[in-house]
Amino acid sequence: MWMRSKLLQVGALVLGAAAVAAAQDSPLLLPPGVEKELAARASDVTEVTLGKNMLGFASKFLNGKDEDEAATRKLIEGLQGIYVREYEFDKEGEYSMEQIEQLRKSFETTEWSPIVRERERKGRETTDVMMKMVNGESHGIFVLEADPKELTIVLILGPIRMEDLGKLKGLSGLGALGDLEKDTKVKDKEKDKKGGGE
Amino acid sequence: MVHEEMDDFEQELKQALQRRPAPPSLKRRVMERRVQRRSPSQMVWMRLAATLLIVALLGGGLRWGMEQREERRKGEEAKRQVMVALRITGRALNQVNTRLAAHDRGGE
Repeated sequence: MWMRSKLLQVGALVLGAAAVAAAQDSPLLLPPGVEKELAARASDVTEVTLGKNMLGFASKFLNGKDEDEAATRKLIEGLQGIYVREYEFDKEGEYSMEQIEQLRKSFETTEWSPIVRERERKGRETTDVMMKMVNGESHGIFVLEADPKELTIVLILGPIRMEDLGKLKGLSGLGALGDLEKDTKVKDKEKDKKGGGE
Repeated sequence: MVHEEMDDFEQELKQALQRRPAPPSLKRRVMERRVQRRSPSQMVWMRLAATLLIVALLGGGLRWGMEQREERRKGEEAKRQVMVALRITGRALNQVNTRLAAHDRGGE
């Protein structure tokens, strides 16, 4: 009897370790099953998973003569991965805020710094932008945007050069990332000034 | 004495260089030897080997071409995915900017 319970404990431990390993394999850190559940409920799903090898392979096919493609190639060189999930829903309430909170919490570590964190009063619209900083350099960006009918999760891992983002004229919005960082720095400075004056 | 020796030598040379017609059986014998050397079964094998070589070369070339095309297709697909991912990222960040701007306007 004692032996059986020990075996069960060991089995449970092995299964637990396997589940943790599987969760770690998923770079978006979405809990197992949540991704499938969201995809099943969404009316439109876009899933992009590009690891380092795939990015290297894709960069070979980016034309160096085209301005946008050349800038994209420069941007993705050295990246560890790009993971994007975009879900569009026909009606509201297809995902829970607990799921969003769970995902957000997995990025609340010392190496990820929040740049933008916004909540609508009703709590159904949230925006999070986080940066992974290593020795003062950005080594990753995480964007989580939740609307009642739309959920966008973006995770880019690897060294990101902000000046390269601005060159992507055809991909509007990416250039804004550079501005975002500048804005944040300006706001931080203003805060520091105010803090110093008080 | 020397003169006689020279005459003999000239005589021998003359005989050796004399044009003689080939024996009538020579052509037949040469042709027979040739046929013997390459029997019909040998010819078939040689032709088969040559055909197989050509087929292998053509097949290899075709496969290489197909692999190149497949590689290109996969590369174009990967490139398309990179562009889609960056476009979605750009759109999300644009929305963030818009929200922040609206928030700032509301706060003023």
